[in-house]
Amino acid sequence: MSDSYGIDRREFVKAAVAIGGASALSACLDRGPEIDVPRGPEDPASAFPERQHAWNAALPTDDAGNNHHPRHRVLLPLSYGDGMPTDAERETVEAALAGLERAYERSAAGLLLTVSYSPYYFDRFDESLPESVDLPEPRALADFEDPDADDIDAIVHLASDHGEVVMGAEEALKGEVDELNGVSQPDASLTDVFTLGERRTGFIGDGLPAENQDVDGVPDDGPVPEDAPLYMGFESAFQGNQPGEDRVTIQSGPFAGGTTQQLSTLTLNLKQWYEQDSRDQRVSKMFCPHHASEGTVEGTGENLGTDPQMDDCGDPTETARSEGVVGHGQKMVDVREDDAPIILRRDFDSTDQDRAGVHFLSLQRTIEDFVTTREAMNGDDVASNSAVGQRTNNGILQYIDTVRRGNFLIPPRSLRALPPANPADDAAENAEVAHA
Amino acid sequence: MHKSRRAFLAGVGAAGAAGLAGCSGFELQSGNREPPLVENRPDGVYVPTHTEGMGMASMQSDGGYSCALTYSFPHRFWTITGSDTTMVEVGNSDALHLMPIVWHSETGIVPSDVNPTVDISRDGESVVDGLSPWPMLAQRMGFHFGDNVELPEQGEYDVTVSIGEGGNRRTGSLADAGAAEFEFTLDYQLSELNDLPFEDIPPARQGTLGAVQPMQMDMVPLMQAPTEDELPGTVRGTAESGDAQFVVTTIDDAGAFGDDADQQHLAVSAHTPYNRYPIPLMSLSATVTRDGETVFDGYLNEWQDGDLGIHYGALLDTVKEGDELTITVDSPPQVSRHEGYETAFLNMSDATLTL
Ligand code: HEM
Repeated sequence: MSDSYGIDRREFVKAAVAIGGASALSACLDRGPEIDVPRGPEDPASAFPERQHAWNAALPTDDAGNNHHPRHRVLLPLSYGDGMPTDAERETVEAALAGLERAYERSAAGLLLTVSYSPYYFDRFDESLPESVDLPEPRALADFEDPDADDIDAIVHLASDHGEVVMGAEEALKGEVDELNGVSQPDASLTDVFTLGERRTGFIGDGLPAENQDVDGVPDDGPVPEDAPLYMGFESAFQGNQPGEDRVTIQSGPFAGGTTQQLSTLTLNLKQWYEQDSRDQRVSKMFCPHHASEGTVEGTGENLGTDPQMDDCGDPTETARSEGVVGHGQKMVDVREDDAPIILRRDFDSTDQDRAGVHFLSLQRTIEDFVTTREAMNGDDVASNSAVGQRTNNGILQYIDTVRRGNFLIPPRSLRALPPANPADDAAENAEVAHA
Repeated sequence: MHKSRRAFLAGVGAAGAAGLAGCSGFELQSGNREPPLVENRPDGVYVPTHTEGMGMASMQSDGGYSCALTYSFPHRFWTITGSDTTMVEVGNSDALHLMPIVWHSETGIVPSDVNPTVDISRDGESVVDGLSPWPMLAQRMGFHFGDNVELPEQGEYDVTVSIGEGGNRRTGSLADAGAAEFEFTLDYQLSELNDLPFEDIPPARQGTLGAVQPMQMDMVPLMQAPTEDELPGTVRGTAESGDAQFVVTTIDDAGAFGDDADQQHLAVSAHTPYNRYPIPLMSLSATVTRDGETVFDGYLNEWQDGDLGIHYGALLDTVKEGDELTITVDSPPQVSRHEGYETAFLNMSDATLTL
């Protein structure tokens, strides 16, 4: 038996996050030692950055020098329904969000959050989104996928190293608790304005996938390495293969300081991955054949430090021609700008529906940047010119199935509560009215 | 299974705990009937230890394609990356070797440029979803897709097979075929599975060079490469590499292959010995020399064509008699192998032919 801080408790907390609700939260709080999370500032609006997605500065750096990812996640889908948002509703949403921010410090140990809005939300306005925002409706991005469109209006992303924090934050947003971390909560709740959709949950970080591998899509004998941060067994987000936040931030227009969020739900089939592929095959398909033959990747790849050394992989088509396989990461190196990818990956694993999955969440300046990256990952040209198949030996395409795709705008913080489609137009109109 | 989760659910009395209870219960006795592998397997196509029959759920058509959902005993096979093969042994819970055979209805071609996806559910509950079976080569069936799958118990399953758009190297009506989806009911009964033929091959024949006969199933076309006589164009001869046969022909009107400048399509129909199954998923390239000068040097790309079948081809200016063709295998076929093929088509040296 491990002690209450050990695996049992970690598994317990993760299971509680997956199940959610006030009873799960209280079961969690009853069971464990009180967690000690610093509170946030009295006036978050003046203390917090305008970029909702500016998380990096609030995240510790791990031993290897990479950004740490908050271990527990909840995504709360929200439907607004018909009609136009009112200023009173905006105040309600803002008050509910600010309540959380006063309760928990803005950090991985505390709470990080974003609110984002879909094209379906913005459709209701007469004006369209400004040209500085690229936010099409989601569509299939590969010949072999047929995803559902994530057609909810908005989604809140809650992230913390403490499961209790994301659960507490969720309960507060639903108006279920009066006090959070000793801080009294406003009467306002998101449910005053939105209808909640089916919550989505997840986790990322060493140990969590192994502890939560008793789900469909993972073989029964528990093949996920104990120290892996993700189900497929490797470190993914290295300092050297992530862009900075500036590269993904919208630079101009009323939503400057915002970003776009691509959110897809992937299901994993890891029987083949762990039982029918060898370690070398896995390294070839995830990184590249060069890394497999040179033994570049040890274990989960922690030995790579901050740099997955993709420059050594070679040209994807040439590799596919001569090796019969091309790596997942290798295919996307060509998309890099200034030696960094153009999407910032903040994805995490999930056991939703008792199914091994991924909530692939990435930030980029335009959705087009995501599409470009995803097309490179499809490797159509590589497949057409080599022994590599549409999904066979074509990176990790064989093992993942995209079941849902959604596109969202994460507006700057000052516009995070029910933004109009074109705030500048509105402001201009208001100004005219004021002068009239 | 579900230990902490179940304990947790019990703790908070949440609904849904009952759904987790049925994880154990049914014990599969499918067992693994496969005899041990032949010792000292030759480096080439060889006669395996046994043959298996095949069952079929049904056949469906959609979007220019037909699909037969077929199955056999779970059995060992080899996955391949580059020239490294990995033997996949039958798992304790494997119920079937499931093979969704998708072919283009008009031409009978089993396309190699799409990967089918399989979803299996029982009483509306998903059992397997988003599975992408391996492309495979088997002595009784040739090229198909398949994988060993786990089913929790005997009974009826709903199976959906879907394929997306194909690649950009298709001709004629093959190029018009779009995405397609096929729905099946699969009744998994051990007694029926065990009624399928399973024949051991006499030890003296096992491991000898050769192959077992193709199996013909009702309604399902057996996809063999065209014979030399059936091939269109001017057939130039056959070269060999790593046990694979490369039959070379040249097509004068190469319009279907993207030509607009009076070039010829040099086509290489690559097939297995004995059973003449097409061998897809190779990287091939070719050089043509004339009087010591290189007149062509480039990729032979994989095409799907009704008359030539799956083949590898390139456009080049008119071929002359006496030209020297060298075919280089840059990657051996990246198809998983059933027994008897796993040691073949791996070390593939250059194949040469005088045209
Ligand atoms: C199950 C899903 C996925 C897993 C487990 C995964 C895993 C990884 C891993 C381990 C790496 C680092 C190693 C390497 O660079 O080869 C990586 C890199 C990367 N992945 Fe993924 N990935 C997944 C899905 C995706 C998706 C859907 C995209 C979006 C198109 C994506 C985009 C990228 C990018 C852009 C890189 C960096 C490429 C570079 O170095 O330039 N990944 N992924």
